Amino acid sequence: MSVLIEATAPSTVEPRGALRSFLRHRMGVIGAAMLLIAVFVAVAAPILAPYDPYEHVRVTVFDIYQKPSAEHLLGTDDGGKDVFSSLLYGARVSLIAGFAAAAIALFIGGLVGIVAGYRGGWVGSLLMRITDFFLVIPDLALQIVLVAIIGPSLGTIIFVIGVLGWTTTARLVRSQALTVRERKYVMRARAIGAGDSHILRRHILPAVLPLMLANMVLVISLAILSESTLAFLGLGDPTVISWGQMLNFAFGRGAVTAGAWWALLPPGFAIVWVVLGTTLLGTALEDALNPRLKRHHLEAAGSDVARGRNVPTLDAPTLAMTGSSADPSPILLVRDLSIEFDTPAGPKLAVEGVSFDLNRGETLGLVGESGCGKTTTVLGVLRLLPPGGRVVSGSVWFDGEDLLGLDGPALRSFRWTRLSLVFQGAMNALNPVLTVGDQIAEAVRLHAPGTTKREAADQVAELLERVGIGRRRANEYPHTYSGGMRQRAMIALALSCDPDVIVADEPTTALDVMIQAQILELLGGIARDFGTGIIIVTHDLGVVAEVCDRVVVMYGGGVAEENQAATLFREPQHPYTQELLQSFPDLAHPDRPLRGIPGSPPRIDDMPVGCRFAPRCPHAFDRCGTERPPDYSAAGGRAACFLLDLEERES
Amino acid sequence: MTEPLLRVEDLTKEFAGRATFGDLVRRRAVPPVRAVDGISFELRAGEVLAIVGESGCGKTTTGNLLMGLLQPSSGRVMLEGSEVGALSGRGLQKLRRRVQMIFQDPYESLNPRMRVREIVAEPLRVHRVATSPEDLAARVATALTSAGLSPAEAYVDRFAFEMSGGQRQRVVIAAALALEPTLLVADEPVSMLDVSIRAEILNLLSGLAREQGIGIVMITHDLSTVAAYADRIAVMYLGRIVEHGPTRQVLSDPKHPYARALLSVVPIPDPSVRRTPVILSGETPDPSRIPPGCRFHPRCPVAFDRCPRVDPALIEVGPDHEAACLLYGDGAPADRPA
Repeated sequence: MSVLIEATAPSTVEPRGALRSFLRHRMGVIGAAMLLIAVFVAVAAPILAPYDPYEHVRVTVFDIYQKPSAEHLLGTDDGGKDVFSSLLYGARVSLIAGFAAAAIALFIGGLVGIVAGYRGGWVGSLLMRITDFFLVIPDLALQIVLVAIIGPSLGTIIFVIGVLGWTTTARLVRSQALTVRERKYVMRARAIGAGDSHILRRHILPAVLPLMLANMVLVISLAILSESTLAFLGLGDPTVISWGQMLNFAFGRGAVTAGAWWALLPPGFAIVWVVLGTTLLGTALEDALNPRLKRHHLEAAGSDVARGRNVPTLDAPTLAMTGSSADPSPILLVRDLSIEFDTPAGPKLAVEGVSFDLNRGETLGLVGESGCGKTTTVLGVLRLLPPGGRVVSGSVWFDGEDLLGLDGPALRSFRWTRLSLVFQGAMNALNPVLTVGDQIAEAVRLHAPGTTKREAADQVAELLERVGIGRRRANEYPHTYSGGMRQRAMIALALSCDPDVIVADEPTTALDVMIQAQILELLGGIARDFGTGIIIVTHDLGVVAEVCDRVVVMYGGGVAEENQAATLFREPQHPYTQELLQSFPDLAHPDRPLRGIPGSPPRIDDMPVGCRFAPRCPHAFDRCGTERPPDYSAAGGRAACFLLDLEERES
Repeated sequence: MTEPLLRVEDLTKEFAGRATFGDLVRRRAVPPVRAVDGISFELRAGEVLAIVGESGCGKTTTGNLLMGLLQPSSGRVMLEGSEVGALSGRGLQKLRRRVQMIFQDPYESLNPRMRVREIVAEPLRVHRVATSPEDLAARVATALTSAGLSPAEAYVDRFAFEMSGGQRQRVVIAAALALEPTLLVADEPVSMLDVSIRAEILNLLSGLAREQGIGIVMITHDLSTVAAYADRIAVMYLGRIVEHGPTRQVLSDPKHPYARALLSVVPIPDPSVRRTPVILSGETPDPSRIPPGCRFHPRCPVAFDRCPRVDPALIEVGPDHEAACLLYGDGAPADRPA
């Protein structure tokens, strides 16, 4: 998925990206505003409040539960005090309790999490068992008991809420510290000679703090809620006014029977206001700062083939040829295929106007650097594009049938039976909980219903032998296989339904040279013996030279050059092919100096207007910067380069 | 002859074997896994040595031993006359300034939250090298320039994700160069990079060796990438160096059957070059079950009767060129392949 990698955000968040993605959360911004208003009210209470609720004033019976009026905006409470003023002052206690308790919880949780995650070992296990213990005991019950024993003062309440509220933080921080500890850059720091304190300060903390920030907001909201609950239950500090306390007094002293809704609703509303605000903010922050929750930004619903796809017409002879069985005849024709991906800047073309043929029994190499669109092209052909990607024009003719026009069951039966895929990461493509034999048998029986178990087992054994795995290993699980064996198993899986075409995406990239040679020999044998057409997608020109009959060189989502392999390596026509060959080490000519290609391939959201290779091309001239070169015939193949146009005119 | 930059003597590293359930039930002692089995070599300043082998041959363990990240089970690594494994605390800290490592994966080995400036300054801070903030900035700039990222000001404020793979690997190299090391251990420095970028990074590394006299040990599975850059090649198989010599010699006239096979399967980007690849069957055996005699004999296409019994030592097969094979030296079969 080279194209995707290019366009995807880094896996870990960095600060500015986090701010941007936070601002995209409208709910988070609303939450932040709600919380800011509450904080402002708390700070400015002495200025905003018309009365001082802590001041002792003589009250008469007529002052109690007065209805809201101009004098008392929200009426008076059971003590004849102004509800509005108490509400404003109450914000102070609720927020102080929330913030202070959260600070304690975060400190304990952060410390436990970092030690458990970074130190690991038995210390880590012990700490996590303690965390688990605290997680399962009912918070509220314990809080009530503790506050009742120690005595209700604001300090006690803060302490109790804090000491009982750190578990989620500890777990979150631990898992993050654990991940970062294993990162390559931490290993590199160790190799430099950095000690624990340096690694903690420079690598672990910066990774953990953003998560703690998001977590803090949620802990605050829980703490405020806890404080209100305790106060409402009569366990609040009797000397201070908090929202929970106001509710407690109102309930306890007849506000309900007196019908004094104004004494009940405002503190309730205030609690909901702050808790809602912090929760909205916290959720948004968590979303923005916690990379694990981040959704793939390319994620989008929709078909992998655009509705208004532009289908080029094929001339009758070409089509007729695909139907014939005469060799060599193209089994697969890709015509003018264009694929776009949704990016933050709107849909962008990742593959543009790609055409090529594959004959029966032929091995075709699809080469290019990462991000050149080779994997996207084959995924488009196989109708396996990830969400957010779609074919916008072109057609894929497979044995006379347009693959892009197929749907549902017709498509499924096409895949594997006629067209199968060997993935790059063989381990990920095999199911770890099923034996290799079972997985191949599953594929066999899925496509040939009615096959008995015995017949399927025989076929599995035969397939495994064919790819050089002994039949006795059929009952083993993928993890007991080495990398090379897994790739062989994948090939057996691909062969299980005797396909006409196998697409192998970087089939040997992660393998040792000797294993690579074994796999390539195997693929070559399959093409030779069964007449299977094979497309090998690779960045390795050496692999192409060893096994491919024909080569399509891709660059920037388009075909730069196509030719027979022998000719392409001898007489490369496109400057990109020439440069690529220059940069590739060749053991046959070890003295030839290697030269890299300066610059990097274009990104799909920043494609040059003219020739896609022009910015890196040593031969580029004015026309290359403004016009997209068409294909020119050259050396028996084709290449998209204006230099060939010049040559044509000269001759 | 003066003391070489790096001298590795009979270096061995064993790891505790992993007991299977059967071992536990039968109370069987688990044999240790010998990842590196008595290797010796020297490296002079400004020289590039490639350690080549397939996965499981012990090349990465060797790199970690050179770095002092692992303690050898026996044998020693001498850097500029002092023994790496014998050091601890202060001494090890000082050693770390002279040996730096370049890791395989430039995407993973840079902290995504740090700017280039901080990444390159990190080793300088750890070792408290810089005398002032200005000195620190100057050293960072010098390192970046040496790594081919110039002008340095254009890069110092970037984050890793704002750079291409090649540029990231240059930042990794700059961070390694910041401490002015005398030895670089590069573990697969280009295998994660695009072909078009590999040549530039390899040119940079060999330039550092040539111009700054830094010794480089390049660990790789890919013979073709080192061909143009290494002065010498050591081919490893199952913890041993089986062939060792000047690059040109080893590539043009490999002596050990394993080296020959390995060379014959390296893909050559030229379909007109037709070779007969020697494709070995099977895979490198598990280092916990090293075959008796010559460890390569079960896969060797030219093994003869003595091979399962005699464990061959490295012997001279040409000028400065050694191979560990019974085909050479006394007792070789009469019809030995030349």
